[in-house]
Formats: sequence, structure tokens, C-alpha cells
Amino acid sequence: MNVTKMSMSTTHKNISFQLNGRPATAHAGNHQNLVELLQGQGLFGARESCGQGLCGCCTVVVNGTAVSGCLTMATLVDGADVRTIEDSADGQLDAVQRAFIDTGAFQCGFCTPGFILMTRQLLEEHPDPTDDEIRHYLAGNLCRCAAYTEIIKAVRLAAQKRKE
Amino acid sequence: MNPFELAEPRSLKAALKLLDAGDESVRVFGGGTALMLMMKAGVFQPTRLISLRGVESRYARVTAAKDGSLHIGALTTLTTLGRAAAVRSKAPVIAGTLQTLSNVRVRNVATLGGHLAHADPHMDLPPVLIALDAQVVTAATAGLRTLAVADLFTGYYETALARNELISEVIVPAQTGRRSAYVKLTTRAADDWPTLGIAVSLQTDGRVIEDARFVVGAATEKPLRLPSVEAVLRGATADDAVLARAGEAAAAAAELVGDARGSAAYKTELLRVYAGRAVRKALAA
Repeated sequence: MNVTKMSMSTTHKNISFQLNGRPATAHAGNHQNLVELLQGQGLFGARESCGQGLCGCCTVVVNGTAVSGCLTMATLVDGADVRTIEDSADGQLDAVQRAFIDTGAFQCGFCTPGFILMTRQLLEEHPDPTDDEIRHYLAGNLCRCAAYTEIIKAVRLAAQKRKE
Repeated sequence: MNPFELAEPRSLKAALKLLDAGDESVRVFGGGTALMLMMKAGVFQPTRLISLRGVESRYARVTAAKDGSLHIGALTTLTTLGRAAAVRSKAPVIAGTLQTLSNVRVRNVATLGGHLAHADPHMDLPPVLIALDAQVVTAATAGLRTLAVADLFTGYYETALARNELISEVIVPAQTGRRSAYVKLTTRAADDWPTLGIAVSLQTDGRVIEDARFVVGAATEKPLRLPSVEAVLRGATADDAVLARAGEAAAAAAELVGDARGSAAYKTELLRVYAGRAVRKALAA
């Protein structure tokens, strides 16, 4: 099979999915990744940074599961529920976001969307996480400003606030 | 990345029909994480990819058989594998290894079948599964076959799989009376790719080692069993002298390859020191 012989009809697809609770459609190429798809929808909170699934800046929640957007083929989210950092039911910050602000758990903020989304996942699985659980769960998120100490404090604070 | 076709068959049978024995630009994938990296790097340019995510859900499950063996569908994600109660009770070394294998997001989508078929010699589970004497069941339109995980790997990123064949299941035999451990040595973060991996499985009454499997990963072109180390351990009690001899035997037998995470000399020294520690970890398991 020769690449040049393939037509757009086989390499691209019209997809429809739920994006932050609203219906969305796109014409996407199989070779595009989920971050590129989201950028086409005007959402820039998921960032492709390392491009290798190591840093967590591209974290997206698909059907309730956190994935690396940079390693997810765009057309595979056809029919899925996709949630990004821009998702907010009421326009208010949640306990995790407030905890990151209150503890100063960032400097430049580039990695913060990924940390927020992963922390929400962590607290769903471990409502009262130990420091060991926090470190293991967030090991795949890198903060080049090295706000790790504050991030761990933020996760502990968010866990506490969620219980109140 | 170049454009390619993407098929999402609803059954394993349909997926097999889409494979092409003569065309290496056609591939199946589970989570697609390793494949995406290869495509991004330009080392693999597919014309057609076949997603296995939509095939029958029985290929994404873990079940424990009456004889104590584990039957793990190839599409089981690493997250599901690590959480499965049957895995935690029958082969806890697998669950323990998964804790520092890549990260949550990759484990959420990466599958055991893909982990094995990718045949990257730095993967953590291949040496563990070889130490547990696990087997893979492969499927092709011609039928099924079973082979030892140890025989699946034929070289650097190379497997015994034909182009129109895929892994459908992994079987871990009952581990009655065995104690196993995996030691992962990293030079950067704990969840980084290993510099060296050592998997050990011992048949023991708690004192005398009746049988041993000793496997090295991440420092050879494919996971490597070291019979000379196993011979030192067999019939012995794990005292300091025996473990020192095991370390010397390992360092002498394994021709390790250096990479960005350590030179061959460094990895050999790690193996000499950690061979005995891996045995101790298994005995304490």
C-alpha cells in the first residue's frame, strides 16, 4: 500500500464527542493527536510539552480516565466524553484549584492544568492520600519551576477541604 | 506524522483479517502509547493501524483459574492489571512492579499485550513474566498457539510473532511455593526506564532454594535468563557467601549493553551487587 494513494476519506474522519459537557464535532486526521484536536476547538489548557507522555502537561480526562493527550489519537475520542481543565460546571474554582492558589503551588503555571486534573483523579481514588500515594500518583507530572513541596501541600489541603 | 488509515474492528477475528502477512506498515495496537512515540520519532510510518480497543471485552479481563493460574487478556490495561485482586494475591510481584512502571496516564491505556509485543528490552514486565514462567497465547486466522514469554522475544524490538499474528492472552501458572521479586534500578526518577532490572523467582521451603529463575532486563538486547546464577542458587541456602557467588556468576555471565542510563561496566557492577539483594527480596516476599 502506498501512502500517496490514500484518500482523505480513509485517513480522516468526522467525529462527534462531548467536550466539557457540550456536544462537539470535528474533521480530524488519524495522525493528529488529542491536543491538536482540542486546539482546533479553541482550548489551549492541555499543552503538548514533552510530547512523550512523561510530563503530564497534556492531561485530558476521557470517559473518566486521565490520559496523555499527546499520545492519544484524536479520532479515537469519537463518541467519548472529553474533559479538560476548561471544564467547569458553574464557572467557580473547585477545592483543588483553590488549594493550589492558597499554597502557591506553581510559579509559571504551565504544568498546573495537568497537576489539577491528576490531583482530582488522585482524590477520587484516594480521598485521604498518604504522601507516598501523592508522590507515586503525580510522578508522571513534571513542574520545571520545582514547586513540588507546595504541590504536595496543595493536594493535602484539597483532600482536607473536600471532606469539609 | 504521516496520514494513515485507522480501523476499529469489533471482534478479534475481524482484527486478524485486517492484518497483512506481507506488509509491515500494517499494525495492531492496544493503548497506542509506544506506537505514538515511534510514529512521532519517524521510526515507524504506518499505512494502516488497527485499534484493538473495540474487540470483545473478555480480552481485557483478568481471571483466576481453579488451578491457581492467572489468565490475563492481552487488552487488559496496566492499571486494571495492577488493581486486580487475583493478580495481587496470586502474583503480587506483578502489582508491585507496576507501581513504578511509567505513570498513571500511560498505565491507564497501555495494555499487557502491547507491552510484550513492543519488545522494548527496557520494559519491566518481560523479565518478571519470564521469572514466573508465564506463557502467551497468540492468535492468527490459522488458529492459536502458545509459547513461553521467554521465547516470544527473539532480539532487540523483535518477537516471534508473525505479521498476521497477535497476542490474545497471557497465562501465569500457579506460583504455589514460589517467592518472587523484581528489583528495578534507575539512575533518575524511581518511575524512569530501568538502568537494570532483575527478576527472581524461587521455589523454597523458606530456607533451602529448591529451584531458581533469574532474569536480567534493560541491559541486554532482550530479557536474559542466567542459568549459571540459577545453578549457584539451586539447592543452596541464601547466606552471604552464596549470594556473593551468585553476584559474581551474574557479572561473569551477562554481556550487558550500555545506554543513556548507564555504561555496560556500571550496569555489570550493579548486577554484581544487586543479584544477591534481589534474591533476598524474593525470599522476604
